Order: sequence, then structure tokens, then C-alpha cells
Amino acid sequence: MKKIELLSPAGDLERLKVTLLYGADAVYIGGQHYSLRANAKNFSVEEIREGCRFAHQLGKKVYLTLNIVFHNEDMDGVEEYIQQVVEAGIDAFIVSDPFIISHIKKNYPQVEVHLSTQNSTSNYEAIHFFEEEGVDRVVLARELSKKQIEEIIKNISCDIEVFIHGAMCTCFSGRCALSNYVTNRDANRGGCAQVCRFSFENEDKKEFTFATKDMNMARYIEDLIDIGVCSLKVEGRMRSLYYLAVVIGTYRNIIDDIYSHTLTEEKMKVYEERLDRVANRETSTHFFMRDENYNDQYYGGRSEVSNQDYLGQVISYDNEKNLLQFYERNYFEEGDTVELFTPNGDHIEFVVEELFDKNKEKMDVARHPDEIYFIKQKLLIEVPEYSMIKIVRRKK
Amino acid sequence: MKCFVEMSHKQEEIPSCDGIILPLEGYAVESICMYTLEEIKEIQKSFSGEVFVKVNRNFFNEDLDGLKFVLTELDALKVDGVFFYDLAVLQIKRNLHLSLPLIWNQTHMVNNVRTCDYYHEKDVSYALLGKEITLDEIKEIITKSKMSCMVEVVSRPSVAFSKRKLISNYYSDLGEKGEKELIVKEKVSGDIYDVKEDEYGTCFYLNTVMNGTSIIQDLYEVGCPAIIMREYGVDDFYELVEDTMDYIKNGCKDSSYISKYKKLGDSTNFFFKKTIYKVK
Repeated sequence: MKKIELLSPAGDLERLKVTLLYGADAVYIGGQHYSLRANAKNFSVEEIREGCRFAHQLGKKVYLTLNIVFHNEDMDGVEEYIQQVVEAGIDAFIVSDPFIISHIKKNYPQVEVHLSTQNSTSNYEAIHFFEEEGVDRVVLARELSKKQIEEIIKNISCDIEVFIHGAMCTCFSGRCALSNYVTNRDANRGGCAQVCRFSFENEDKKEFTFATKDMNMARYIEDLIDIGVCSLKVEGRMRSLYYLAVVIGTYRNIIDDIYSHTLTEEKMKVYEERLDRVANRETSTHFFMRDENYNDQYYGGRSEVSNQDYLGQVISYDNEKNLLQFYERNYFEEGDTVELFTPNGDHIEFVVEELFDKNKEKMDVARHPDEIYFIKQKLLIEVPEYSMIKIVRRKK
Repeated sequence: MKCFVEMSHKQEEIPSCDGIILPLEGYAVESICMYTLEEIKEIQKSFSGEVFVKVNRNFFNEDLDGLKFVLTELDALKVDGVFFYDLAVLQIKRNLHLSLPLIWNQTHMVNNVRTCDYYHEKDVSYALLGKEITLDEIKEIITKSKMSCMVEVVSRPSVAFSKRKLISNYYSDLGEKGEKELIVKEKVSGDIYDVKEDEYGTCFYLNTVMNGTSIIQDLYEVGCPAIIMREYGVDDFYELVEDTMDYIKNGCKDSSYISKYKKLGDSTNFFFKKTIYKVK
């Protein structure tokens, strides 16, 4: 049986590398044109080429979002752009416009086309239409239940991808122009201002908000595997390296444990704790197991919290001198208990006993983000590039 | 150029116009007044103009049998067209070999020549253009596409649609009960929206009339096949429709029409305003 795909977002080349190293099977990226995250850094054609080379060396894949809703002017140059990206080695395009789908399938049949969730595809007859157009995979609407997804899969032959983690739209994707009207930013061309997270008031001057909580499907991955979903998608092309490393690394663990029949309740609690610590909103499974209800949104205000768990990104480890060199991200000090985690899946907890600055001068605290520090610590594991350090407990 | 209308309440008398748009109960959203199949049959008997039916929900598997039934019924009724959002409608039309004319009505997505042409090749008869594009873009589509286009010129635009019961959930959160309608104001812009909920979800309408009476002449001159006016939130709608029919009949030359309908307000939506999407 083919193992389910873990599909990660990547907002730039470094994120692409990190997320593949942390266990994604494929990444989806935006080019500098035609992507629904127009304000992310996004990839030049040369960066797409490099990203594809990196991914293919690992036996992994890169998909390009080309999923804006096109205006006349956007069509100028799109065919040339598609050709350049195909030549750069892209494995699939994620598309919402059926004209673009037909153009790609006609001219580049070797390249897959995935129907974007922007189309909010929610039934098998609509999928039959796109199958006849040559679509290889459909990213389903996020408004579907387990039963509905299962029934779709039984009635179609293309691959099915679903979102499992991250921010959710309040409205059907593609069926919302609140951003256009409130801010003049075109939601369907990558300019969405997330007006559904703005604050409104009703006629009684009471606050009315309707922002959705995030999605977290960690407990239902086995269900998604069982019903025949092919790919599990994490949202967040504008998320940080740390967020991607934790979320992708955790879902990698969950998927691998399911396939090796080693996922226990105890492990699941650890994984959930990791995901909770990087979330800045509460989470829900939304439509998957029940009808949506008031618990899925924030009314009358919302709480978004961020923490300072992320302490640093490892540059290198000298295993003769036992020195861990890293860029600091958040304040910590000697005596704090920290965890080193690596793209290989290792998680090592230890107390910081000796801390040095970039000149190897002994320090009590690391207080300057982006500066280089060293921790002296004997480690019996390989510590590859993009390993990271996070806080476990502050010293008392 | 024809003038089609969508009413916001059931009236014995339909305004004198070229066609009427009837949202089908259980199968349409983003509309105020819904009609059953029986009501559509009755209107078809008494109304001499064209009859269009809106079937523009996002459909789910469990809706498909009902959808096949109503499309077959509408085909038998020989209605003049069905507005659709979900591609299931097009697929079912193909599978059942229906001759029903279809109108591509993916609210915010009908924005360019080539995709209109794509749907034209797929046996879609008309496209209702998006309301978030400029008049220049509309004119380019009308003149360059093989598709017959419709343009909504007067309405309170539907801006967003969610499957979530946003008003019920709001009251549940407060532990209160309330109507399934709210008027809300976005605090920074001051924009006001009518929010309405039914069993299929929640729709946001702009609380301002989009007044496109001043662009009707441009549309006429480029050969636009049809304009649409929607009654919801528009005062003296019958008079407006009657005047618009006369205006078109006389070649859109009567400037007093434009002057008279300045009273609908100065919101011209995106006809003269381009949206942006890169902010850095």
C-alpha cells in the first residue's frame, strides 16, 4: 500500500529545505506570479529549479501554486511562465482556473495538475468533471465531514488531498470577496487581508467577530489513511522555520508510528503538546467529525498568543569540544532546561550548564536575538544543520 | 441588450422586463427570495419573458440525487437558463444529456476572456461576470470572448458566503436567541454589511446599493447581451426597471435617466476602481 503523503508549505528556499529535512514528502510553493500568497517572499524560477533539485535528490516532490482567479491582464505571459517552471523541474501545478488546467494537460501531460481548494470542491460529480479534464488530484473543500470524504473517494479515481493543520477560512474558499470590499485587496489574487479576522460591531454596538479557530487533525490521521486520502496538507506558506520544523516533524512522527503500529496514547499526548506549543490560536477539527458550531469560531474577540519557546537554530556541533553553536532567537539562561530537536527526529532534553558568546566568553544569559552563542553539552547523536533548540522549563 | 431582474419578494405582478431570475428553494444561495418548482411552473405560465433559475449552491454528495431531479425537471420545463456555481451541475447536464442552457455564475471568479471561452466550449451558454472587476475588464471580456455575458448593474452585492451558521453560533456563544439577520459594521472602514443566515450557511451583502446605471450605455455600446438588476435593498425598483427598459429601447441616449438614478447612490463598486493584491 502506498504511504500517505505529508505535504508542507514553504514560503522560501530555506523553508523548503527545512521542511523536507524534517519529514515532508512534498512541498507546495508559490512563484513570484499567480500565487494566492502574493505578499509572501515566494520563489524565482531559479529558486524553483534549485528547490526541485534539492527535493528530487531526497526522492521528494515540489508543487507550484498557480491558483489565483485570473483577470484578463494576468493571462499575459502565463503560458511562458508555465513553460519555464516545467523546465525548472516542477512535479505538479496547483490550479483553480480550468482554462489553465486544460493548457497544462494539453502541453505538459507529464506534469501533474492538482485542483486547488480555491474551487471548494465538495462532491464527486464535480470531481468527475475535473477528472475528465485530466486533473490528477483534487484538494477538497475544507467544509467536508469524514463520511463525505469517504464517499467521494469511493466514487472517484483521482487522488484526494485534504488539509490537516493550520489556519482556516471562515467562508468557502473562492466564495469570499470581503477583502476586496473592505480593504480593496483582491482575495482571489493573493491579496487577502483576512477580513474575517477583523472586528465588527452589530447595531447594539456589541462586538461581532467570526474568525475561525485553526485546524488540528493530529488525532484523525489514521482515519484519513483508512478512508483512502492520498495527501495530508499543512497550511502556512508564511509560517516560520521553527513552526514548520515542529509541525512537520510531529506529523512525520504520527504518520510513521501509525504505519509501524507503534502509536500509543502516551506518544500521542507528547505530539499534541508539541503542536499546541507552536499554535497561536485554539484548534478544532471543524467539519470532520460533527457539524460546525460556535466552538469553531471566536466571537466577541479572540485570543492569539505567541510564546518564546524557540531559543535558537543550530549552526554546527563540535563533537570533540562538545560545543553546540547556534543563532539565538529568544532569551534563555544557564540552568534552563532545553530540548534539542533535529531533522532526524531526535529530541534530547538537557539543562544548560555552560553558555558562551561568539567570542567564547562565558555568559549567564543569551539575550541578543540573531547573535551567535555556544552551549557546552555532550551529545551522542548526529546534530545536522537546521537542528533547533526550544525551552522546556525555566530555572526556578 | 436585455434586462433581467431578480426580485426580493413574491409579487403577483412582475416588472415589465426581458427576463426574471428565480432562485430555487433548497438549491440557491446569496438570494433573498426563493421559489419552489411549483411556483416556477406557475410563473412560467403567466410571465411572457425569459425565465432563469438559480441553482448556485456548493453541493455535497447527499445533494446530488435531488440536484439530478431538479435539473431534469427544469430541462423538461424548458427554462431559459440555469445559473450554476458548482461544476456538478455541468457534469450532471452532460451525463443526463440535458439541453438546459447554463449560466456560469461562480460569483467572484468570472473575470477573464479565456476562461469564459473555456466554458463556452464546454457548452455553457452565458457567463454572469464577476462584480469585482473594472468596466474596462468587463468590456474586454464582452468584446473578445465567444461567451454571451451578463453584467449585474444594480444590486446590493453578495460579498461572501460561508457554510457556517455564523449568526446562530454568535447567539449560542452569548447564550441568547436572536433573528437570523444582523447588520454589522467593520470598525475601521465603517463599511456596513447585511448578514443573513439560512440552513445552507451565511451570506454577507454589502449594505450599499451598487449603482451601475451610469455604465449601461457603455455596455450597450459594446454589445453586452444582458444586464441584471436585483431588487433587494433598492427603492422604487419597478420604476427603475421600467425606466431602464425604456432607456435601453431608446439606445441609451437619454441623459435624464442617468441624472434620475443618481439617487441610487454613488457606489459604483469596482467598475472604476482596480483592486490591488501586492502590498509590499
